[in-house]
Amino acid sequence: MKNPIEILKTLADHQVKFIVVGGIAAVAQGVPIDTLDLDVVHSVIGENVSRALSALSALNAHYRYRPELRPDASHLAGPGHQLLDTRHGYLDVLGAIGKGRTYADLLPHTVEIEFAPGFRCRVLDLETQIAIKEEVGAEKDLAILPILRRTLEERRRLQ
Amino acid sequence: MTDEEESPYDEHGVDVTLIRSFLKLTPAERLERLVAFMNFTAEIRRLNGIEEPHRDPQDAS
Repeated sequence: MKNPIEILKTLADHQVKFIVVGGIAAVAQGVPIDTLDLDVVHSVIGENVSRALSALSALNAHYRYRPELRPDASHLAGPGHQLLDTRHGYLDVLGAIGKGRTYADLLPHTVEIEFAPGFRCRVLDLETQIAIKEEVGAEKDLAILPILRRTLEERRRLQ
Repeated sequence: MTDEEESPYDEHGVDVTLIRSFLKLTPAERLERLVAFMNFTAEIRRLNGIEEPHRDPQDAS
């Protein structure tokens, strides 16, 4: 795991448009689970791809299954999933999640969360995480749904 | 615990006490706990010569 906050700060320093999704997004919103990697959905439009590449270079990012290979613009410009290792831990850079939901699709369903003093990132809200896992319906997604739903219930109860 | 007391688990076996405790923390504190726990388990794997697990590429979401 190392330090996902440093990965997020590097992406932000390079002005990358991204949304935190997956396990880290869930944990930040109070879901008591563990995860080995940081998942982000990035915008594949315009200069964001080159910004993301600069950030990944600063992170010394390379593919987990082929350490000799580094992501390039063609990898980041589509909906694919880039499963990377970086100097601060595992990072999955995702062009789309669920049934083709992109950065633009997800942005209205995000909340801003403070990960460190004065440092905030956009995170996919729990409602949408649940909806995506329901629509995908993979075994690993179904397994985690009860704890996501219950955490959402508890959050609403506290509001 | 007696039968009259509320169970810590819901009907799906989810530990509600863990959720309530976690919700009392700030997001940064939750991340700190996660990172500390995951680094602890990584250290145990390292000490026992167990390779760091990688996710299957199909699992990313």
